Amino acid sequence: MILEILSFSLFGILIGVFAGIIPGMHINVLLPLLLSFPLLIKIEPYYLVALIVSAALTEIFVNFISSIFVGAPDSSTALSVLPGHKILLEGRGYEAIKLTVIGGIGALILSLLVVSSLSPFFKILYDFSRPYMHWFLIGVTIFMLATEKKLKKIFSALLIFFLSGFLGIITLNSSLTFSNILFPLLTGLFGLPTLLTSIFEKAQIPKQEEDEKLKISKKEIFKSIILGSIAGVIIGFLPAIGISEAAVIVQYLGGANDARNFLITLSGINVGNEVFSLISLYLVNNPRSGTSVAIQKIFPSLNFYDVVLIIGVICFSSGLAAVLTLYLGKKIPKYLEKINYTSLCISVIILILGMIFLLTGVLGLLIAFTSTSIGLLCINLGIRRSHCMGCLLLPSILFFSGTTPCILILLKI
Amino acid sequence: MKSFVIKFLEKSEGAKIILICFICSLLGIFLIYVAALNTKPQEVKLNEINFGLIGRVISTEGKIVSKNSHKAGHLFLTIEEEDTKIQVPIFAGLMSKLKEVGLSEKDFIVGKNLFVTGLVSEYKEQLQIIPRKIDDIKIK
Repeated sequence: MILEILSFSLFGILIGVFAGIIPGMHINVLLPLLLSFPLLIKIEPYYLVALIVSAALTEIFVNFISSIFVGAPDSSTALSVLPGHKILLEGRGYEAIKLTVIGGIGALILSLLVVSSLSPFFKILYDFSRPYMHWFLIGVTIFMLATEKKLKKIFSALLIFFLSGFLGIITLNSSLTFSNILFPLLTGLFGLPTLLTSIFEKAQIPKQEEDEKLKISKKEIFKSIILGSIAGVIIGFLPAIGISEAAVIVQYLGGANDARNFLITLSGINVGNEVFSLISLYLVNNPRSGTSVAIQKIFPSLNFYDVVLIIGVICFSSGLAAVLTLYLGKKIPKYLEKINYTSLCISVIILILGMIFLLTGVLGLLIAFTSTSIGLLCINLGIRRSHCMGCLLLPSILFFSGTTPCILILLKI
Repeated sequence: MKSFVIKFLEKSEGAKIILICFICSLLGIFLIYVAALNTKPQEVKLNEINFGLIGRVISTEGKIVSKNSHKAGHLFLTIEEEDTKIQVPIFAGLMSKLKEVGLSEKDFIVGKNLFVTGLVSEYKEQLQIIPRKIDDIKIK
């Protein structure tokens, strides 16, 4: 059995590399396709779980390569876009990749320790916090808006929050809702605007240094890993709070202001969040991510030994994914330097639009058009794109406050 | 219209992009809203309703196996199909609207089939379907 599990984990790692390396691609898009293959439906559930878990973890690690090297903006706007791009424009893209790997592996160890030591309390905390969840989400939203500081920017952020929030309500809560609807919605808000901006700004990747040194102290690395792991577990526990919101909050509260600190923290949040999401199936019997939803479909209720298996696969696939990410992080930029960056961005946009059409049809393209417009509006207003997470936050606030039916009646949808 | 075009052309490049993006956002939201207004909810079998559907509007059918009235005017039904049960709370506001079209508590007879459209929700770790308007409820 162990050999089969390892083989399926390796297959999952390959899928994860594919999902991570292609910009805009996400494991949540591939999972429904994978699970619909008749050959995979018939295989042993444990092997399928190993495949899904390893694909999800690998995608988190490898995804940083595409998010750092593809969609990079012009240097004048780098600060307003992503810290990873800032380091890339310094010619130190590989260092950025290395930092995310360190953050991911550190957070894996720490979040497993946090989750296992606090596991008896999660269910109690989950039941206790549920009636107050909407107040917490409102608090996070206000905090996110307030961090824009200037009044004009706060109003701009409010506009983006409500535009994306309303889009979230009519797409996620109405009769329109179908599987994969999040793909055009989130790709439009976050992926496509970055690629379009890169094309218009005619950005080029500068020549990358081969130096492997990290320009950050060990103390700062540990601090960022601790912050990332804790934030990852917390947002894994909370609904609708995205990685980006958590990263911004940590940036303010924890002082992770430097681009390098930010990348370690961001990677830590990603891994911590996924680890908790998978284990939460056992702890609170509630799936917290696309991956955990897929696993719940295979195993409606998990026992302790199933969780041990999942943790084993998480550790195995994370270790291999880290090595692969470092390897690909060295190789891929060399290819990228040689090819036409604008053509690459255009090809990726065509690929994403093709996939949206294939998976969600014309309606998906309309959702992508709308969400891309909101994403571009956000970039041009000069505010953080995490406000676009209103597409999940607003529907969640309404849901936890029990007002969703009233709003849907009001909208007649 | 002409003055709008002239004013638009006089704006800076950044302002033009912001305006175009804003108009496209509103246009897209409007079109999606129109599509949502004209889309029939997905029909799901009672035993296929799970926690993954929370927050979605669906249609389903089942036999009424119990009903409880609340003094505030709410009616709590339980429908069943192939050993799967789910609660259908009809809140007082909708109940009074149903009475206006001649449908009272007495019409919800145990054993009859109920076709319901509503929002999948969770209450005390149990799934429920909340109908929102008169058309959401059909007794067969």
